[in-house]
Amino acid sequence: MTTSARRSKRTEALEQRPVNLDGFVEEWPEVGMVAMDSPYDPEPGVRVEDGVIVELDGKPRAEFDFLDQFIADHAIDVDATEQAMAIPAVDIAHLLIDPRATRRDVLAVTRGLTPAKLLEVVKTMNVVEMMMALQKMRARRTPANQAHATSARDNPVQVAADAAEASLRGFRELETTLGVVRYAPLVAIALQVGAQAGTPGVLTQCALEEATELELGMRGITAYAETISVYGTEPVFCDGDDTPWSKAFLASAYASRGIKMRFTSGTGSEVQMGNAEGKSMLYLEIRCILVTKGAGVQGLQNGSISCIGVPGAVPAGIRAVLAENLIASMVDLECASGNDQSFSHSDMRRVARLLPQLLPGTDFVCSGYSSTPNYDNMFAGSNVDAEDYDDWNVLQRDLQVDGGLRHVPEAELLAVRNRAARALQGVFAHLGLPPITGREIEAVTYAHGSKDLPPRDVLEDLKAAQSVLDRGVTGLDIVKGLDAAGFTDMAHSLLAVLRQRVSGDLLHTSAILTPELETLSAVNDTNDYAGPGTGYRPSGARWEEMKRLRHVVSAQNPEREVG
Amino acid sequence: MQRRCNVTPLTVPGVTTPSQVDLDPGRDYPLAARRPELLKTPTGKRIDELTMEAVLAGEVAPEDLRIAPETLRLQARIAEQSGRPQLAQNFRRAAELTALPDELVLSIYNSLRPRASTKQQLTDIADELESAYSATLCAALVREAADVYERRNILAS
Amino acid sequence: MADTGVSTRRTLRLDERGTAGPGSRTDEVVIGLSPAFGDFFTKTIVDIPHAEVLRELLAGIEEQGVHARVIRFRGGSDLAVIAHAAAKLSGSGIAVGVLSRGTTMIHQKDLVRLSNLELFPQAPLMDLDAFRKVGRNAARYAKGESPEPVPARNDFMARPRWQAKAALLHIKETEFVVPGADPVELDVRFQLADAG
Repeated sequence: MTTSARRSKRTEALEQRPVNLDGFVEEWPEVGMVAMDSPYDPEPGVRVEDGVIVELDGKPRAEFDFLDQFIADHAIDVDATEQAMAIPAVDIAHLLIDPRATRRDVLAVTRGLTPAKLLEVVKTMNVVEMMMALQKMRARRTPANQAHATSARDNPVQVAADAAEASLRGFRELETTLGVVRYAPLVAIALQVGAQAGTPGVLTQCALEEATELELGMRGITAYAETISVYGTEPVFCDGDDTPWSKAFLASAYASRGIKMRFTSGTGSEVQMGNAEGKSMLYLEIRCILVTKGAGVQGLQNGSISCIGVPGAVPAGIRAVLAENLIASMVDLECASGNDQSFSHSDMRRVARLLPQLLPGTDFVCSGYSSTPNYDNMFAGSNVDAEDYDDWNVLQRDLQVDGGLRHVPEAELLAVRNRAARALQGVFAHLGLPPITGREIEAVTYAHGSKDLPPRDVLEDLKAAQSVLDRGVTGLDIVKGLDAAGFTDMAHSLLAVLRQRVSGDLLHTSAILTPELETLSAVNDTNDYAGPGTGYRPSGARWEEMKRLRHVVSAQNPEREVG
Repeated sequence: MQRRCNVTPLTVPGVTTPSQVDLDPGRDYPLAARRPELLKTPTGKRIDELTMEAVLAGEVAPEDLRIAPETLRLQARIAEQSGRPQLAQNFRRAAELTALPDELVLSIYNSLRPRASTKQQLTDIADELESAYSATLCAALVREAADVYERRNILAS
Repeated sequence: MADTGVSTRRTLRLDERGTAGPGSRTDEVVIGLSPAFGDFFTKTIVDIPHAEVLRELLAGIEEQGVHARVIRFRGGSDLAVIAHAAAKLSGSGIAVGVLSRGTTMIHQKDLVRLSNLELFPQAPLMDLDAFRKVGRNAARYAKGESPEPVPARNDFMARPRWQAKAALLHIKETEFVVPGADPVELDVRFQLADAG
């Protein structure tokens, strides 16, 4: 350090760069403040006696914590483990990136691997190799995307309109949450209604405390669930008021009502909650991934998620985040791969964090692209928001990579926003909920965010929200309300979503509904990537759609624009 | 899509058990589109009876929009044949839970939270699952939890 | 970042008065402090002195004619645990939980632990006015009213800037946890510090 007070003009310029508003901290492996390379992570190893794993990563069974035991007894294939563990980590990594080895070949090995071994495998890989592996290991052939639709004022009218726009722009799943939890029933209804105004078959969820989330799902007010959190150490799991067994039971509870669900976890949560037991963030996340696998859940939302500021602050943190997505896919889980939380003040850094999921494609590239401006995002902001729509579409077009979205002309967007708000007005009237005025509908049609909307009577809304629960309003009542208000196509579409519960087809790995209301999952849309020229590549009508942007100069008449 | 002709026609719905149905994930999934004749609601309705007209006529209740245990067991076989034994096992536990009322499902979940139950309480839940609902897989899961909670000291004191 | 708006410097003295028991007054709100609040730590993540935090919470409660009781929770550093435990000790069933870094929650004893009446998850956004409003609303819940929730503030860039530091603060706070320890009743005194 110089003692001079005088700074160079260049330093001054660099100090002004947004990236310097981001937080960076030193590694501190003793408390788990380290991404994926810690001297305190265990050595891989397994021992089986009489069909039971009696030693896992150097720990005898008597000393297993509850995660070790759950993973040993439910996640790892006892018949495959000793053979799989005998393969050197670097050979498994080679298998992952070799296009001649199929996804199935890899799964035959990974089903027998312990957490420490999975860690050892990805530690041999750089980010490009991980992306190659992810391209092959993603469960569903066709990538998709998920949006957040929330409001800083929990305004249901806004949520309906933004959900409709997001649905039209191509998202296949929509998630909401609340500033004031008690608003949940109204906002969840708004999301459900709005989602069907864009393209049919968009699935919705509302992130809440586990039991409440299940209740809304059982009533058919939401279509699936995601905020079923698991953690990588026993104390933090208990702080979350759950165990692997309670979560496994909850998973079965959802399936018993025909409701799709995935778990949620991510690097950094344990160190964030102060109980990482001195293990690296990625090692603990791998334990979460295997608990999910063992519980028989079809998929996982991971990629640090709400703790992204923690791995984002340490060296190689974003490499670790990619590794967690890869490992979820490596053990045959659906992966909704993060990119859903505000990550950096720097636009360069935001994109760099996004590309490792966007380029190879994942089941849901974002597990929450903010369909609102970030100030309205009640998940505390996303890595990408409504102001990034055009950038996203350009990235897709530049690289010919399918991130699940498309450019939609303004007139169409205004029409669906307006329609969603009117449909919600009808449903609220049908259910005897506080009225939605013409002024609100007009405002929300043209709005960017909640600041552009007239405020609602919050206390009346909260009373009504309670009455939705007390009266036992269900998804069927929303269907009837849509029909009564004259939105018969939306009523049909919502009924089709609800009817999915009866067949259970959406319970399979990586399942989504297409706009034609067909189920697409890892069962009937298995990722068949096998090197250049194979697998999913945007082509045909989809590629033509991706070529359209807000401003493209016409080749026919360069004085005009197309699109 | 080809359909093999050795599939037993379900002229008498409900007689064929899930384990007797010939299932091939590549051919029969998704069931709603490809094998709708196998699907019934727990209330005995066919999936094609769940129409808009029926909803508006008040003939569809929330209970009609639930999955039947037989359907979950079919989906379990599809999961199994797709190489996903854990998912299949989850579907089989779920099949057992279809018989439980919502409140009981929620209350068992809450009982499984850390420090929420004594060992006896968990054992009682397992016994009830088995005797009242024939939910042997779920009962086994709860008993297993009781043992682990005891060893890890996260039972209610 | 929150503007602390603190012009005079107060110091906080917290004297322990033994194990905290359940309250008998139905017109009380309990404030549950985290293990190192006003002790090892003296200010929130954005440097608001703990003395000012507590003063605003107490003022918000007392201006509603409601009695306030302050306890320190030593058994854990999880906000939901602290707030819920405090609510169970509160004669009204209403409590405010607050962590050293400034994260705050209003809880009610009959709710499940992971639910809450109001949660203010972003410590960097908690300023003096917000703490006053939290105190006020807690008191109004205690009186059986249904106040309009304190407007949720949202700075989506707080995470990239503060989250890792918050984690370090939390780890440090957790080092002060005494597993199984009873919550203790606190005597709260404010003193004006010597100027200069």
